[in-house]
Amino acid sequence: MGKFVQLVVDGLSTGSVYAALALAIVLVHQATGLINFAQGGMAVLSAYVAWWLTNQGLPLIVAILLAIVFSVVFGALVERWLMRRFERGDPDTAVVVTIGLLTLITGFAGWLWTYNNQQFPSLFPLDTVSFLGVSVSVRSLGTTAVIVVAMLLLQGLFVGTKLGLALRAVAINPQSAAFSGLPVGRLLMVGWGLAAALGAVAAALVAPQLTLTPGMLDNALVYALAAVILGGLTSPIGVVVAAWIIGILENLAAVYVPFIGFDLKVAVPFILIFVVLIVRPQGLFGRKTVVRV
Amino acid sequence: MASSPKTSASTTSAPASSATTSSASSFRQRPWVRWGAPLLLVVGLAVLPLVMTEGANDTLARIGVFAVAVLGLNVVMGYTGQVSLGQIFFLGLGAYVTAYGVQSGWNIVLVFVLTCLIPAVAGLLVALAAARLGGLAIAMVTIALPIVGVPLAKRLSDFTGGSQGLSARFVEAPEGSGLYDDQWQLYLVLVIGGIVFLMTSLLVRGKYGRAFAIVKGNENVASSMGISPYRYKVLAFTIASLIGGVSGFLYMVVVQYTSPETMSFGHSIELLVAMVIGGAGSIVGSLLGGAFYVIVPDVTNAIDPSLTALLQGALLLAVLFVLPGGLVSLPRALTRRLRRSPAGRGSAAPPTTPSSTPGSGTAAEQSETERQGHA
Repeated sequence: MGKFVQLVVDGLSTGSVYAALALAIVLVHQATGLINFAQGGMAVLSAYVAWWLTNQGLPLIVAILLAIVFSVVFGALVERWLMRRFERGDPDTAVVVTIGLLTLITGFAGWLWTYNNQQFPSLFPLDTVSFLGVSVSVRSLGTTAVIVVAMLLLQGLFVGTKLGLALRAVAINPQSAAFSGLPVGRLLMVGWGLAAALGAVAAALVAPQLTLTPGMLDNALVYALAAVILGGLTSPIGVVVAAWIIGILENLAAVYVPFIGFDLKVAVPFILIFVVLIVRPQGLFGRKTVVRV
Repeated sequence: MASSPKTSASTTSAPASSATTSSASSFRQRPWVRWGAPLLLVVGLAVLPLVMTEGANDTLARIGVFAVAVLGLNVVMGYTGQVSLGQIFFLGLGAYVTAYGVQSGWNIVLVFVLTCLIPAVAGLLVALAAARLGGLAIAMVTIALPIVGVPLAKRLSDFTGGSQGLSARFVEAPEGSGLYDDQWQLYLVLVIGGIVFLMTSLLVRGKYGRAFAIVKGNENVASSMGISPYRYKVLAFTIASLIGGVSGFLYMVVVQYTSPETMSFGHSIELLVAMVIGGAGSIVGSLLGGAFYVIVPDVTNAIDPSLTALLQGALLLAVLFVLPGGLVSLPRALTRRLRRSPAGRGSAAPPTTPSSTPGSGTAAEQSETERQGHA
């Protein structure tokens, strides 16, 4: 029983990392209608920035905060100078652009900081706490908590502030938003910046566990995309729930299903996807979209 | 991603294309050019392996292998407009099937047939599920293929040899032919690859190619014409997987060794980069893409191996910005620029030059106008 609870909590924490990435992808998709395959790559870059700053002698928490600021700026710049040209065009071309960006960032990080694994200091101690007779690792609880707080902040921003209202307006209908005087271009930059920041938080939290490499979040990106498919592109809450389900299920499957084990647990979300796609093609929580010709 | 001049010309209705023939295409349509050029090409390719060095033969053979893989990717992505990030998985699967079959001592013809069939069936199953979701879902699902494929190949070590991989030497020059092994391998790649290229170019110019183009251009229009986007996406993906399997067979002919690393995520991305840089939706572009896939790492490894990914990413973005049609559209873009500069009329000129009006689909036209706007 103790093992089971520990697995669930660990799954919840990795699920939270997937959820943050998935939410970033949904954020970008709602604003600009494209899937950013470089979301994980951008997050890794900010983790490298944080790692480099700690090596310069800065305390970890300051380094992470600075890295988040960096990724907001970086995300905004990517939107303005790279994606803007492709947003109104063919979505497939835009996707290829994000893949080019992923290759570029991975290549850049590998060239500058080598492809070797780097140790990233952990924000949380590696202790365990006893809770109702079950020991649970502090890191898992902390990771989950930080990401949930980040999501709630983001939700507050979207629901409770004027900026959030403007962002939502741009997401729903960019043209009407522009007509009513909103600076659509700048708002898109803000949207990309926020998405990048969320990714940066996830990367900083998961980096100690995975150790820092340029391809650190490739797998996490796959999980995040799976969560996006399962949750439905139109439902942020659905995506987060799906990411948690994936995180927990893959952890349980790795231990309790002998054939899957730790190496093949990446297949779990896709078995899930296959089942869901047959039963509910619009995703667990998504709506069916009707397109007019 | 614009379709190439050749394919778009063939997808236009006959009267339109004959009414609008530029000097370049009329040169191409003279009988002695039409028959002479391919003949010259065939003779050239037949002689080339005999006169080149062993290293050059090997490079050319590898280019052939990956040109076939890029061609497969082009069928689903360039022609049908469905982004696939998993093409390398089918190359790897084909390579494993070949290696396993050869090691088990099966007849080589049977091995080849299985190398086509097994990846095709795998692709069919993936596409049946992935194509149910519209838009970019195929990209989001196929990205998992290499990422699941590598640990799966390590796990199924009874079939795949685990991390060590499998090697199979089965291509030796026949006795009495007087050929060296590398020459024989190159001939095999040229013949099998040539047949695949021929069949694919017939496919994309014919009825199915037109259906693919409509699915790419506008799915709603396609379904209103009685063309099921779902069915054609699945078909394109299955054909792409089959061609991927063939490229896996050729990979074993040339490299003679495969491991889980063959189908890594990085290679899958590189294949897509190569396709876009070569030219999406183009037969010649696939050849250029294969050349890019092989030559760029060879060059960058000589300078600094850690530069490869950086350079590929930068090149891909540069091509998307400057030359969205890929390298294959370079001559056309250059001639257009040359023609425009004396005229000095800017964007008014291109629509009247016939060779630049593909008219095959909205997607092609859009990117065409986009390019003119930024050129």
